[in-house]
Amino acid sequence: MPTITIDGQTIEAPNGAMLLPVALENGVHIPHYCWHPKLSIDGSCRMCQVEVEGSPKLVIACNMPIRDGMVVRTNTPAVQNTRRGVMELLLVNHPLDCPICDKAGECLLQDYSYAYGSRHTRTEEPRRKLEKRKDIGPRMVLDQERCILCRRCVRFCREITGTNELGVFNLGDHSVLDVMDGAPLANDYSINTADICPVGALESKDFHHKLRVWFLKKTPSVCPSCSNGCNVTVHHYRDRVWRMMPRRNDAVNETWMCDHGRLNYQFVNSPDRLRQPLLRRNGQLEACDWESAVAEAAHRLHHAVRTAGATTVGAIASPHLTNEEQFRFAQVLQTLGVANVDVAVVIGQSDHLLVKAEKAANARGARDMGLRPAGDGLGLSAMLEAAANGTLQVLYVCGADLAKLVDPQLLERALAQIECLIVQDTIRSPLAERAHIVLPSLTFAEKTGTFTNHAGRVQQVHQAVNPPEGQPSDGEIFSRLLNHLSEGHSTFVPEGVLKEIGEAVPAYAGITFARVGPMGWMVTDAAPAPGAGA
Amino acid sequence: MATRAVTVSRPRPHGRGWSMGARAIVHGVWIAQRHFLRNLWGFIRRKPTVFTVSFPEQRLTQPNAFRGMPVLVQMDNGKERCVACGLCEWACPTDCITIFPAETADEIERFPQVFDIDMSRCMYCGLCEEACPEEAIVMSQNVEIAAFSREGTLWHKQDLLVPVDKLTDTRLQHVRRSYDR
Repeated sequence: MPTITIDGQTIEAPNGAMLLPVALENGVHIPHYCWHPKLSIDGSCRMCQVEVEGSPKLVIACNMPIRDGMVVRTNTPAVQNTRRGVMELLLVNHPLDCPICDKAGECLLQDYSYAYGSRHTRTEEPRRKLEKRKDIGPRMVLDQERCILCRRCVRFCREITGTNELGVFNLGDHSVLDVMDGAPLANDYSINTADICPVGALESKDFHHKLRVWFLKKTPSVCPSCSNGCNVTVHHYRDRVWRMMPRRNDAVNETWMCDHGRLNYQFVNSPDRLRQPLLRRNGQLEACDWESAVAEAAHRLHHAVRTAGATTVGAIASPHLTNEEQFRFAQVLQTLGVANVDVAVVIGQSDHLLVKAEKAANARGARDMGLRPAGDGLGLSAMLEAAANGTLQVLYVCGADLAKLVDPQLLERALAQIECLIVQDTIRSPLAERAHIVLPSLTFAEKTGTFTNHAGRVQQVHQAVNPPEGQPSDGEIFSRLLNHLSEGHSTFVPEGVLKEIGEAVPAYAGITFARVGPMGWMVTDAAPAPGAGA
Repeated sequence: MATRAVTVSRPRPHGRGWSMGARAIVHGVWIAQRHFLRNLWGFIRRKPTVFTVSFPEQRLTQPNAFRGMPVLVQMDNGKERCVACGLCEWACPTDCITIFPAETADEIERFPQVFDIDMSRCMYCGLCEEACPEEAIVMSQNVEIAAFSREGTLWHKQDLLVPVDKLTDTRLQHVRRSYDR
C-alpha cells in the first residue's frame, strides 16, 4: 500500500485511491464542492487545491491519484490564497439571498466563505440576473442565480437515476443550470439533488420556506415507508417532524432515499391522530381512560377464548411496529393460545434502486417474531371469511392497512358480523370508526426500537418527538394486556425486550442495541423469511 | 536601631452629635423642602420648573438611543419588511420571539406568517435589532406592556407593525450609525 504524508501525518492509503477521500477519511478536511463520495469526479469547483511536493502548480485533491511517498500540504500560504481566490470568483455572481435561502445554516458556500473567504467584496459590477424560483418539477424548485455550477445534481441524474433531466447549458460566463424542455425533474429520487446541492440552488418544495435549519434537532432513524429500511435522520422541532434526510449507510441506501419515503412523514404531525382510547358504549365510540380500555380488551379476548375457544379469536399484526412490540404481541397471542394471526402488508411498486414492494418497514420482523399463521391458524382473508361466517368473534387489528388489502365487500361482511373489533392505529380511519375498542398507537418517530428490513438487517429507530403525556407505546399496551391475561408484572423496556428476543428467536441470538448500532446488524439466517416479498 | 513611638492622628470612625448624623438629617430636610418650595412656586405660577410628568396624560419623547420594546418596520405598501430569516429568533437571549415563515408571490418571496414576541419575557436588550440584516425589527420608545392576561403580553405581527416613516428619522438613523451600516 502506498504511504503518503499529508500535513506531516503519515497515512497508508489503498492503491488507486484519490487524495481527497483519503484525506477526509483521516481527518484532514480539504474544502470541496463538486466532489461527492457516491458520484464521479468532476473537478469543476477548484476548491480542493492542495500543494504536492514536486508539482509545479497546485493540484486538485479530488482528481489526484495517490502515489507512494507523496508529500501533501493543505494549509500553506499558496493554498490559502488560492482558496480565497476561488471563493471570491464563486461569490462574484452569487446573490445575497442568505436571509431568505432555506440552505442558510447548512450551506457549504456560507461555511467556506466564513472559513476560507475574505471579508469584503471587491466587485462593483451588478450581479448576473437569472431565473429565480423556477418550477422544474413536482417536488423541486430551482434558483439559477444561486447555482455555483458544481454539477453534482447533473451527475446524480446521469449516474444514479439515469434520467438525465438536468444539464448545464451555454458556455463560460453564460453557463446556467436548467432542465431540458418538456422534461421536468420528476424522477422518484429528485429531492436528493437538494441534499447534494452545496448551495440553495435546488430546494425541495416540501421544505421551501418552512423553518430555519438551525432550529431543527436531528435524530437517527429508519424510513418507515418500505421494507428496504433506508437509514434516515428525522429533523424535528417543537414536537413536530419537519423533514427526513437520508443518512449514509453503504449497505442499505448509500446516501440516497426516494421522494415518496422522504415526504411520507406528515402522518406523524396529523391533526387526525388518535390520542385517547375509545370504547363503544350504547353504539357510540366514547373516550375513556387507558386502564379501562386495556382491561376491556383483555376481558373480551379472554372471554372469547374461554367460552368459544381460541379459534374464535383472530389477530392481524401491523408491519409498522418495532420488533420488540411484535414480540410482545406474539406473547399476548401465545398466552391466549391464538393461532389465527397474519401480517397485513400493502404490496406496491418496486424499482431497481431502493424502493421495495412491501410498503412497510417491519413486515419481516413481524414474521420473524412469530406473527404468521402457524399450524392450522388462519391467514388474512381466511380470518375475514371466518368472521363473515360468524365463526370468528373477536378480531384484533393493528394498523389500518387491512382496508387497502382485502376485498371491501368481504371486509364489510366481516365487520357486520364480528362481535368485537379491537383496532390499534395511529390515525382515525373508517376501520377505527367501526371498532368496539380503539387503542391509539405511536408512530416510528415517537418510539425507540428495531426494524428488520427485507434482507434481514436489524436497524434501530430512536424516539424523535414526544408523544402526549401519558400515552403509552404499542409495546406498553401489549405489556399491560399481557399483565391482565397472565397476572404478570411485565413492563415495556425496549432494551430488555430485545434481550428476550435474542433468547427466544434463534435468528436474533445475541442481539443488543449496542450491536445493532447506527449501521444495523444482520440476522443470523440471512435468507429472506418465507412469504417476504421482493 | 532604637525604636521610636510615633503619634498619628486618625479621624474617629463615628462622630458624636453634629458630626454623627444630625448634619445629614438637616441636609436631607433642606433638599426636600427646596424641592417642595420650587414645586409649589411652579404650581402657583402654573409653570412647573421641576422635571415631573403627569403620566399617563403626559408622555416624554426619549432620545433615539432609548431601547423600549422591539417593533416591526412596516413598509409603505403596508407589508412588513421582515423576511423571516430567523436571526433575531436565534439571537434572542430570552427566546421570546417565535417566527414561522411562508412564501408569497411577491418579489421578496418570503414573509413571516407568524411573528410573535412574548413581551413578558423580552428584556429590551436590542440583540434582535443588531442581528437583523434587513432593518426590519427595531427598538421603539414604547415600554407599556401591561395586560389583563398572560395572552395579552404576547404581541402578534399586527400589533408590532409600525410605519417606516415614523422610524426613519429616529431609531433607524440611530441603528445605522451605531452598527456602522
